Amino acid sequence: MEKLEPFADEETVIEIGKLTIENRLDRIAMYGSLDLTKDKEGLQMARELHPLLANVVKLLSKLEANGDLPEKVQLIKPGVVKNPFA
Amino acid sequence: MKHRILAFLMAIYLACNVIAAPASAGQSSCPQFYTGGVAPDLINEQLSPKTRELCNEVYAVLHSGLTRTPLYAAEHMTRENLQRAKGLPRTNSFRPDLRLPADERAELHDYARSGYDRGHQYCAGDAYTASGKDGSFLLSNMVPQDPDNNRILWEGIESATRTEAKRRGELYVITGPLFQGDQLKSLHGRVMIPTGLFKAIYDPARGEAAAYIAANAPGMDYRVISIAALEEMTGINLFPALSSQVKNRSMRLPVPRPYRQSHGGGAE
Repeated sequence: MEKLEPFADEETVIEIGKLTIENRLDRIAMYGSLDLTKDKEGLQMARELHPLLANVVKLLSKLEANGDLPEKVQLIKPGVVKNPFA
Repeated sequence: MKHRILAFLMAIYLACNVIAAPASAGQSSCPQFYTGGVAPDLINEQLSPKTRELCNEVYAVLHSGLTRTPLYAAEHMTRENLQRAKGLPRTNSFRPDLRLPADERAELHDYARSGYDRGHQYCAGDAYTASGKDGSFLLSNMVPQDPDNNRILWEGIESATRTEAKRRGELYVITGPLFQGDQLKSLHGRVMIPTGLFKAIYDPARGEAAAYIAANAPGMDYRVISIAALEEMTGINLFPALSSQVKNRSMRLPVPRPYRQSHGGGAE
């Protein structure tokens, strides 16, 4: 499986079971549904998920230690435009 | 001879012309995705500027350079194809559609830090080949969608539509954004944020149709309306091949049940 480098791009999306994981610059979006079953398939999926989460913790901890981690990410507010179809 | 040279030059021109051609109403380079082979017709003329049809392996899009989103994505959903959709690649890439001119297309940075999802119009979960699924991640197939809507209600509607196609055998499905009101929100004044979404569904075997619509907002509120009512809202004749009788009567559509019935315990 290809590696997802947390917060590095807006491109990468991976699926583990029916869980979708999208890399964004300001977040890792995870949604869907996942059963980590007590069997070989469950172990396989846990092994995919675990390093990904470990990388997120490592990266965010480092930012926090450097004082670079905000309380909350800032979103860019959408603008307002005239509806070209109205 | 002159004609032959002209034809030769034309062929070279067409072969080199990687930029998608501007769309003209009703005509299509990929009629297989449309009911009766006829693409939707733009009734509201304000929709027409900067539209281009983009034919993909498993779906077609009419893209608008005004909104930098599709106006609709069309597909022909069959039981056979959905049953083939197993074991497809689990890693994919969102990316801009380089077939579009730079001043008409959305870029990844448009969506970055916006809080909006890149909401597929043709759903990746409908794809039945690896390359087809890959092609669903083009930004020409995306609208800025409220994350809660995209991941819960809309996922349920997509899933319910697939279940319905498996039950009925085949469906023609057209999905797209609703842009309602005098003003719209936008990402960087470039990508317009739809006020709602629609999924129009036609069952050719039974000759009946209807559409789901929902606001581009959190929550489970949705409506099932007739194709005629939806065409009024969108300004698009979505199924030019259908009679007004079919368009005016809406068939029953299943209640979307995100991540429950369709996903739980292998019941799919």
